[in-house]
Amino acid sequence: MKPPFYFSPLCSLIVGLFVLIVSPAGARTWTSTDGKPLQGIFLGMEGENLKFKLANGNQISVPKDRFIKADQEAAERLSKIGDDSFTKASARQIDTILAVTLKKNGFNSFNEPLPDDLFVRRVYLDIIGRIPTREEFIRFAENARPDKREALIDELLLSPGYASNLFNYFADMFRLHSGGGPDFVNGIRMDPYINWWREQLEANRPYHEIVSEMLTAQGNVGQNPATGFLLRDTGMEFDAFANFGQVMLGIDISCAQCHDHPFDEWTQGDFYEMAAFFGNTQRSLGYQPANAMMEGGSIQMPNAPEGWKANFMKWAEANKGIVPGDQNSNQFRFFVEALGWNIADNESLQTVLPHDFRGEGGKPNEVASPRTILGPAAKVGGKTRREAIAEWLTAPDNPRFAIVIANRMWGRAFGRAILNPVNDFSNDQINGASQLEVLKFITREMQRVNYDLREFMRIIYNTRAYQSIATAEEPDLTAPYYFSGPILRRMRAEQAWDSMMTLAHGSEIDAKAGPDGSFYKKVLNIDFNTATNDDVWRHYEMWESLRGGRAAMAMVSDSGDDYTPVIMSDTELRASELPQPFTPASMLDTFGQSDRRITDDHNYDGSVPQVLALMNGTVTDRLTGVSSKVVADLEELDGPDDKVRGVFFTLLNRYPTKEELDLGTGMIEDFGDEGISDLAWSLMNSPEFLFIQ
Amino acid sequence: MHIADLAGKDPFSRRYFMEMTAKLSFGLSVGVPFLPRNFRAQDGAKAKNLIYIYLAGGMTHLDTFDPKKNSGVMGKTEVLDTMVDNMKFGMHLKELAKQADKLAVINSMTSTNGAHEQGEYIMRTGYEKRATIVHPTIGPWAETLLGKRGEILPDSVLIGQSTSNAGFMDPSLSPLPIADPSGGVPNTQLIVEGERFERRMQMAQKLGQQFTEKFKYTAPKSYVEYYNQANRLLKSDALKAFDISAETNRAEYGENRLGQGCLLARKLVESGVRVVEVVSGGWDMHTNVAEGTADRLPELDVAVATLLKDLQERGLLESTLVAIGTEFGRTPDINMNAGRDHYPAAYSCVLAGGGIKGGTVYGETDGSGKKVKANPVKPGDFLATIGHGLGLNQEETVYSPTQRPFTFADKGVPVTAIYG
Repeated sequence: MKPPFYFSPLCSLIVGLFVLIVSPAGARTWTSTDGKPLQGIFLGMEGENLKFKLANGNQISVPKDRFIKADQEAAERLSKIGDDSFTKASARQIDTILAVTLKKNGFNSFNEPLPDDLFVRRVYLDIIGRIPTREEFIRFAENARPDKREALIDELLLSPGYASNLFNYFADMFRLHSGGGPDFVNGIRMDPYINWWREQLEANRPYHEIVSEMLTAQGNVGQNPATGFLLRDTGMEFDAFANFGQVMLGIDISCAQCHDHPFDEWTQGDFYEMAAFFGNTQRSLGYQPANAMMEGGSIQMPNAPEGWKANFMKWAEANKGIVPGDQNSNQFRFFVEALGWNIADNESLQTVLPHDFRGEGGKPNEVASPRTILGPAAKVGGKTRREAIAEWLTAPDNPRFAIVIANRMWGRAFGRAILNPVNDFSNDQINGASQLEVLKFITREMQRVNYDLREFMRIIYNTRAYQSIATAEEPDLTAPYYFSGPILRRMRAEQAWDSMMTLAHGSEIDAKAGPDGSFYKKVLNIDFNTATNDDVWRHYEMWESLRGGRAAMAMVSDSGDDYTPVIMSDTELRASELPQPFTPASMLDTFGQSDRRITDDHNYDGSVPQVLALMNGTVTDRLTGVSSKVVADLEELDGPDDKVRGVFFTLLNRYPTKEELDLGTGMIEDFGDEGISDLAWSLMNSPEFLFIQ
Repeated sequence: MHIADLAGKDPFSRRYFMEMTAKLSFGLSVGVPFLPRNFRAQDGAKAKNLIYIYLAGGMTHLDTFDPKKNSGVMGKTEVLDTMVDNMKFGMHLKELAKQADKLAVINSMTSTNGAHEQGEYIMRTGYEKRATIVHPTIGPWAETLLGKRGEILPDSVLIGQSTSNAGFMDPSLSPLPIADPSGGVPNTQLIVEGERFERRMQMAQKLGQQFTEKFKYTAPKSYVEYYNQANRLLKSDALKAFDISAETNRAEYGENRLGQGCLLARKLVESGVRVVEVVSGGWDMHTNVAEGTADRLPELDVAVATLLKDLQERGLLESTLVAIGTEFGRTPDINMNAGRDHYPAAYSCVLAGGGIKGGTVYGETDGSGKKVKANPVKPGDFLATIGHGLGLNQEETVYSPTQRPFTFADKGVPVTAIYG
């Protein structure tokens, strides 16, 4: 067995640095002494004032002593990093490191700087997940300020599209699924959990806090939506653990469930000892087959008084005509099951080594005790197992967690991560990475900004490396890549869809909200310790009135006694606002949206059905037909030249070449609006539309 | 590599040359995989077509093709006799039991992949999943080793998924994905007709040219190829092969995706498509396996039984290999949620038609379906067995664009005993 990660040279180095730099203070959630939050980007200290940039672009200065002590400390720490702005200083540091490795490997420097038009399209797609509108494109093109790129990056990072775009990435990574289908019995829904994710990203909550909350959550998805993470894999406890390893630690140890890992250092024993941190996590109150409904009395309902379930069901049988095992009572049974689809810590549960266990350090059927298999040992005293693993995972001296998320976020910007695949890399791969220095630096930065992903991305988007034209030749997957610029990427399905929605609705699409799972959340959110049987029955009547998938599409106000659901049926929404994943054979599905069965499963391949959808789909006609918004918006422009430019600005966000301008004006002169429509169709159906260069 | 280099090495046909120039004009990379081949099936192979029904999620082996009487592991499933003495099924497979004489059941499948992704990957490509390369599925392999069959119809179709790829092979070999079998190929009605459509296409091509020249990447060039394929498809009669709306036996196949997928597969094979994969999800029965099997097994039973009968009546059964595969079996012990978990140590797959000796049970598990007792068959062996039926030459090396050598089914050993 190779030495564990903790003892690797890189690791000790990073640990040393982290202890100096990182403190747990919140870098992003700026809070005043009277508890008010401030949303903005910290620009630095100005005497005794803290300077921020707000979403509207304005800058404000706030006296330091208006902030809580942790924020004051954070501000001082952050402002020491650079002379003008710590973000820019950090971006320059990345460029310096990259330039050295580029030189060392025979490259002069980065690719050519990105021209303005390609820049604006790329940052819109990368930061807010859609193409800019014609107006947004022109506004940037005509802006003469020298710092307009920085300003646009900040504007986009602070706009609602930022969270929407990041949501799509995490939805794929965390396999967010609205429910229904074989993984979820009897119409169990996950919509409140999905909406919880949206809220975390909108609030720019530090990533390690999001993760900690998911790992330690208790209750059902109505009482506590963060339980959705563990509920997602109910009945698949070991797969859930394997997924945990992939997304949180970047190690795929699923093979070690059945045998020692063939290529890596993990043994079968490691798998079960690490899995044992979740060994006493109860995910449901024991699924009961239909005809055994009333036999569930002996099973303790998590987060409810002893015997609660049996008492409630007896009461319903006596007072409400519920007949055990009868078809007509199915909805009642489903409701009780949904309430009991519930995360709790149950000390009587254990992780047991399999009957055919072949590994070292244990015998078949023995109980496995929780033990972390890399990094420093987890401290287990005085807390639950899940609290222990969450604390260990996100601790400042466990760099693996920071490496994983920093590497992923880097990969989002450049189209290629430093360590690949992002969910499975070995210690040897880390230590041998061709960009080890950058990896170390961004890992430290991820910890310095306290897992504020918006701030982290802000650093990367401000690098010269990122603001280079895309590398013209496809880099070999197996050869090292030195990041002379981003690589050419096809849009994600969600980016393609959201761009189409932008063509249909303009930038207003960002503000259009979809169903938020609030009805379902309200139905399941019961305090079992105080609710009377009549109260619970009222919740059941809500459930019965609007079941399963329809309930998920319903919303209620979050406060008060309003239980009247409003059904949302509009599907012209951004991908992040639609049910997850969106329906099979939809545009999103056709363009490769993950079906959320396995992690990081988005598909970037083209296909004949994709191009047929772009050629002949109803969406295409709606977007490029003679009566489309695209064509109508060009009415205000005079002359074919301007109109051709207008079509290019709208669809490809760039100036047409001389030849393209001639071709386009020819079409408009010959065919009028039909010609504009044809040109728009042709731009949407040229491969350039789908790519981020 | 220049085309002149290729010409110096091998004499090749006019057709091959035309394919090559077509590829060059789209700017697709011309790698070693596209060297001219003999394009000949191995001697003795009877199957000309393949319908591969893939049950994603892991079909329970005990409740289907490998039930165990008096074993304590059967849950609510009862054991059913079939028309073949030594072949027993779970009670839901009533129709297949009546056609057991057409089936070869392999009850000694065994794998080390307990996760869906890796398991499905090797069962559909014959290769362990790697982080550095994507391996092709059977369709692109068959087209590479046997030559392209159809002029306009694709050689392979993937039913039940909305995306596909050809792995390291040329994107033009990607199976055509049909997400919903009842919908056929969606979006085939042109928005504008005639000259106007041509004008649009020409314009799009011109506009796209600069971009595809600027970036030497496979992906944008593959889109050029997909547009070309789509355009050819739209102008042909071939689309009719994807339309099952007028088929008279739709109900017999079962009004569900799996049933309709099998019907479409039959129609496509009849029309000249070589390899059809039908992927069916929902077999991952961690909770309440009794409810899950009662729900899904009758669908499988009716769909496959009807498919076999239909192929036979049309005289296609001898030339069409029908395979049922899955990534693993399910635990003999029923879990606390009344379900069964992943179980790669032992599972079952089935073959029929295409030269298969019906009524065969190959391999055996112990009395509780936990261990393979005799004749273990690994995923690569299963793929090799399919390849054997189709006459795919396992000795022939195909190179990836990065010059890595690959052979069909990664040296898997075919189970020849189940062929007649």
